[in-house]
Amino acid sequence: MKVKEAMIRDVSAIFEDETIEDFIVFCLRQNKSGLPVVDEEFKVVGFLSESDVIKSALPSYFSLLQSASFIPDTHQFVIRLGKIKDDHVSQHMVKPPVLIKPDDTVIYAADLLIKNGLKIMPVVDDEGKLVGIVNRIYLIHVATQGKINR
Amino acid sequence: MDVLTVTLNPALDREIIVENFKINEFHRVKNPSYSVMDPGGKGINVSVILSGLGVRNVAMGFLGGYIGKVVEERLRLISDLITTAFVHVEEETRENIAIVDPLGETITEINSSGPLIKSDDLRMFIRRFEVALSRAKHVVVSGSIPRGVDNDICKTLCKKVADSGKISFAEGIGPAFEIAVEAGVITVARPDLRSRKLLFGETMVELEDYVRTAKKIIESGSRLAILSYAIEGDVIATRDGIWLFKTKGHIDRSHLLGTGDAFMAGVVHSMIENENDCFLAAKRGMAAAVAEAEYIGKELISLEDIERHLDSFDIRKLE
Repeated sequence: MKVKEAMIRDVSAIFEDETIEDFIVFCLRQNKSGLPVVDEEFKVVGFLSESDVIKSALPSYFSLLQSASFIPDTHQFVIRLGKIKDDHVSQHMVKPPVLIKPDDTVIYAADLLIKNGLKIMPVVDDEGKLVGIVNRIYLIHVATQGKINR
Repeated sequence: MDVLTVTLNPALDREIIVENFKINEFHRVKNPSYSVMDPGGKGINVSVILSGLGVRNVAMGFLGGYIGKVVEERLRLISDLITTAFVHVEEETRENIAIVDPLGETITEINSSGPLIKSDDLRMFIRRFEVALSRAKHVVVSGSIPRGVDNDICKTLCKKVADSGKISFAEGIGPAFEIAVEAGVITVARPDLRSRKLLFGETMVELEDYVRTAKKIIESGSRLAILSYAIEGDVIATRDGIWLFKTKGHIDRSHLLGTGDAFMAGVVHSMIENENDCFLAAKRGMAAAVAEAEYIGKELISLEDIERHLDSFDIRKLE
């Protein structure tokens, strides 16, 4: 099975110079956990997820801790979030993004999603322009129906 | 991508069939098929019909809330040829509810007003429209204008299309449509005359009124004007003349649903293949509309349907 048979043909995206606050509103309204970041030619230049925003708002030593309860002042998170909300998306996005093409196999897409710990992955054409997305739950759905090796 | 369609005020069209419907009484829908939901709004309708004709397209506009998500999901389920790119807003997308009573022969309709579009939403939409425009050759701007959006929106969008050397198709009624026509930025203009026959301050009654208005649209800069005249006719104007298209058979008023959008889709499809022949586009649009009129509801017509109906109407040159 090819990605083009399992992709969601939606090209909702955020631009590099839009803000973290714009990103949060976009995700809330569309019930999404992340968005492809595109340039003015609609080429995918990055990906931003809610996890990336959380990471940016947490102190840098957070990854060394086993629990959020070790953070001396959790209010720091709210303060840092307030500081980055007007930042450009490009300052916090993951780049280069993990991308896939419509003619790649769904198995390959699943492999990329698992290895990179992603829930959503942009699908791009040969010019790198956004044509849709694949998401983890839909691929799991396809797998449970036995279509993935078709 | 071949076509971009813009629906600024989409809707979820819900049709519920209730026999012996009466106000102030409890009713139960007998069968799941008696309650159907379809994505609606004129641009979206054109997207759906174009997908049936094999044309890949991107649908843009504003959606909001739970109803907006239903519209988006259902639209994508209709065809792999439709890609969605809507800006999501805070308030709910409108719902058009029609309660059809086949026994009592009544239709009761309740339409909600749709979301308020804030200036930030509009700014984000226009930026996305400009980027999407670089990937499309043909742009359809069709339907009503939502609350919060100025009447120059149709002109603004169609001017961007014209400035990039591409072709715009617009359908609407009221100031927003008239401003765009008078600015000469619409390539193919089709006034939506379903609710009123009023254009440029004049109510059209006689055939001459329609001809005069069609001429004004062409003189303003459009290459093709299409004005629905009575149920079975259309006044067609290009820079080469004015014609009356009239169906050979009778069309029942109940079969008119979706015919205007099918007309537009037929014109778009023809101009993708033959950009300069507006008269041929009008003929193929009319054939598409006649084909759609074979169905009561909104059904997907095929290219074969269009070919089959190319002789289903008479053409009379008026000027």
